Amino acid sequence: MKRTIINEEFLQQVESLQTLIRNNVAGMFGGTHQSKSYGSSCEFADYRDYVPGDDITKIDWNAYARFDKLYQKLYLDERQMHTKIYIDTSRSMEYGRADKAEQALRLAATIAYLSLSEMDKVSIYAIKGATIECVVEGMVGKDSFVNEIGKLNEVEFSGDICLSDAIVPSNVGYGDGMSVIISDFLTDNDYESAINHLADKRRDVFCIQVLSPDELNPKLRGKVHLFDSEDATRIYRKNIKKDIMKAYRKALEFATNRINDLCASRGANYLLVSSEDKMGDVFFGKMVEKEVLK
Amino acid sequence: MSFQYPLGLLGLIGVPILILIYIIKSKFTEQTVSATYLWTLSERFLKKKRRDSKIAGLLSLILQILAVVLISITIAHPVFTLKGAANDYYFILDSTGSMQMVSENGKTRFENGKDKIREVIEGSVDGSFYTLVSVSNTTDVLFEKEDNREVALELLNKAEVGYGSANLEEARTKAQAYYQQNKGVRTFLVSDKGFEKGDNIELLNVSDGANNYALLDIEYEHSLLGVLTVSGKAVSYESDDTVEVRLFIDGETKDEYKTVLNVKKAEPVSFTFEVNVEWYDVASVKVMNQDNLMLDNEIIMYNVKSENSYKTLLVSKTPVFMETVVSIVSHAEITVISPDDYLELEKNNDSVIEGYDLYIFHSCNPKAVPRSGSVWFINATSSVENSGFGFQGEVVLKTAETIDKTKNSSTVIRDELLKDVLGEDIYISKYARYDTSNRKFYTLFTYDGDPVIFSGTNMHGNRQVVFAFDLHNSDFPLSADFVTLTKNLLDFSFPAVLDETNYVCGEAAKVNVVSGSENIRVESPSERSSYLSMNEAVGEFLLNEVGTYEIKVTTKDGLKTYRIYSSLPVSEQDPNAEIEKEFSLLGENEGKGIDGFYDKLIVFFICLAVIFVADWMVYCYDKYQLR
Repeated sequence: MKRTIINEEFLQQVESLQTLIRNNVAGMFGGTHQSKSYGSSCEFADYRDYVPGDDITKIDWNAYARFDKLYQKLYLDERQMHTKIYIDTSRSMEYGRADKAEQALRLAATIAYLSLSEMDKVSIYAIKGATIECVVEGMVGKDSFVNEIGKLNEVEFSGDICLSDAIVPSNVGYGDGMSVIISDFLTDNDYESAINHLADKRRDVFCIQVLSPDELNPKLRGKVHLFDSEDATRIYRKNIKKDIMKAYRKALEFATNRINDLCASRGANYLLVSSEDKMGDVFFGKMVEKEVLK
Repeated sequence: MSFQYPLGLLGLIGVPILILIYIIKSKFTEQTVSATYLWTLSERFLKKKRRDSKIAGLLSLILQILAVVLISITIAHPVFTLKGAANDYYFILDSTGSMQMVSENGKTRFENGKDKIREVIEGSVDGSFYTLVSVSNTTDVLFEKEDNREVALELLNKAEVGYGSANLEEARTKAQAYYQQNKGVRTFLVSDKGFEKGDNIELLNVSDGANNYALLDIEYEHSLLGVLTVSGKAVSYESDDTVEVRLFIDGETKDEYKTVLNVKKAEPVSFTFEVNVEWYDVASVKVMNQDNLMLDNEIIMYNVKSENSYKTLLVSKTPVFMETVVSIVSHAEITVISPDDYLELEKNNDSVIEGYDLYIFHSCNPKAVPRSGSVWFINATSSVENSGFGFQGEVVLKTAETIDKTKNSSTVIRDELLKDVLGEDIYISKYARYDTSNRKFYTLFTYDGDPVIFSGTNMHGNRQVVFAFDLHNSDFPLSADFVTLTKNLLDFSFPAVLDETNYVCGEAAKVNVVSGSENIRVESPSERSSYLSMNEAVGEFLLNEVGTYEIKVTTKDGLKTYRIYSSLPVSEQDPNAEIEKEFSLLGENEGKGIDGFYDKLIVFFICLAVIFVADWMVYCYDKYQLR
């Protein structure tokens, strides 16, 4: 089913959003970002003790005169980053009162646009089953965004996925930018390996968990027989009362905390987004609060 | 159990509806969700439920059904009438003489009847009402609409048996009036009588086949010749038997006072005793066989004159006639003195002579009439102070002439004085002429218009009899009328307190209020005292006990005690006899009991209903999301 989420109207909203971000925050990671590796650019970063074999041209002689000890000057390297966005396209993303899939696509498009604005290169991938499918590869510049981003409308959401099985074998790059995973993370399948793998590859990892209002605050009561949208063999049959609702809320808290804790332990960012949230609220509110935007 | 508003039970339709809703709402609704992951994960955080959780799930439904049922029943206002429900009890307790019969268990029928009532009361439930009516000669309501069981039992214990016959018609009238007010009342008749069971009456019969003998139709007569004749009948109500009957004279019996009768069941056999006895105070006939109802085995006959013992002063030179005849017809204690002695005595005591009930002056002319006691003058030949008549001289007849029985108009007193007097020819040869115009006298006999025998009261108010001739100058003492007239005159001089000494329990005894009486006290066999009114010539009181009543008459001369015997009514002697008349109350019994204690629970029921309705609302809110 072809969507019309990424349309002219949406692009205008993203443009205005980008303007607001520029005026209010320092911006996201991108082409003009300093890398965390020390390079040969002219911008001074720090000192370290000189060891034999180092480039003697980078010895700070003024410091030697004061401290009678050799110090090596370090400079920040500058390079173009590659933002890779992974979208969970399982069936569960498309099911519910407010479409999580649409929210995921909007988020992906907006992050892509902001990254392009920072002169970064952007690729968007759809995770299907245990594989990833490239939706947009290597966009650079806003022109390419306008030309390419419409492909998101063609993404289909079906079946089940396994983030780890899909991402780990793929070419995720190494220390060259940010990896954004947009998913509901409502699965027993392994996703920790994917996050660990990305972190190991020295990527900046940003996990966005998108949940619908039905999942955040379900209204079910009484005797219900629930079928899983991804797998009809997965059922849940209960007389839902207060105690079960209480247990559900604990389960939700447990599931979100688990991702959040994992991300925190791996130096990754985590954000919980409702499918009903507006983009402005997500970027100015939650992301600023989480210090994803600076 | 019935319902005052049965339409309220329509609310019970809500029960199946409730269950239907429960079943429909209890079906699992199928629904697809994006992922069951969180729901499945929530199982880990669910507290373990107890085993009775399923029952707890149904508990709400059960309570709701209870609520509907209770509301419906409350609206329908149940009335409990079956066993275990409150009732209005009305007991008619036969307290007649026959209920004193001793049963095989050693208790009287009356006590057994009380036991049966006690059983009913103790078996009733809280909130019942009790009414007890005791029926004997009178119908007495001992307690009415008593709702305290303990009080009712206490008052029942105090109920006492009577001696009379049952006035059941009055009891039935009262019970009917009560029944009209409440057609649901349960009426019990506790009796030993063989009533037929009627409508709306529950009979509690306490009779049994106990041995019972009785004396019937006892009559007696004591002739002037000293012959006591006692006749009557003896009966055995239970079986053919040999009955020994004895006569007792002043507490003593002899072989000749005994008779043995062969009687057939319920067929009275006559007997007669004839014994020579000049005087007796009390005679009795008694069945010597032992039985279970002794009240009807003895009849006591008190001599009506036994207390009429007079101290008599006979002043005469020739007292033979008077002494003999007075002794015969009365129980007199006679003192004889000569006229000279009396006059001497009168002179010495300044004309004040006292201490006698009767003074008979025979050919003696006292100076004055004694202040106390009756006075007879026989042939007074001068005027006597305060006598009320004046001497006018003697009339001597040439030949003996007959005196005439008065032809004056009949009066009650004159008729009594001349009762049984035949009016035989009485000859006199000399008489005294008296002037009786100053005072009213009852002339009994006259000669040539002059009163020769008359009576009345003297100036002291005492009764007075005057014979205007000397008995020795007359053949009067030889005639039969002499004894009769003397008896009548003695009766006039000493009016009897009692005319009759034998009554049947339930009758009214009569006591003559004689002049000089200051008060008359009646003591019953159970020693209950009462005083008779002195305003009437004849006092009456109801005999409601069997036995000897003592009538104690206080006069200025002292206390005299008279006795009467009250016997058991014949109707009470044979309580086993079939009574054809049925005892019933008119009107259709509505069979409704009273709410009693349960009525007070209605408020409690309503509170429960409100609580359960509230529970239902909460249940709906929680379970079916009716918001």
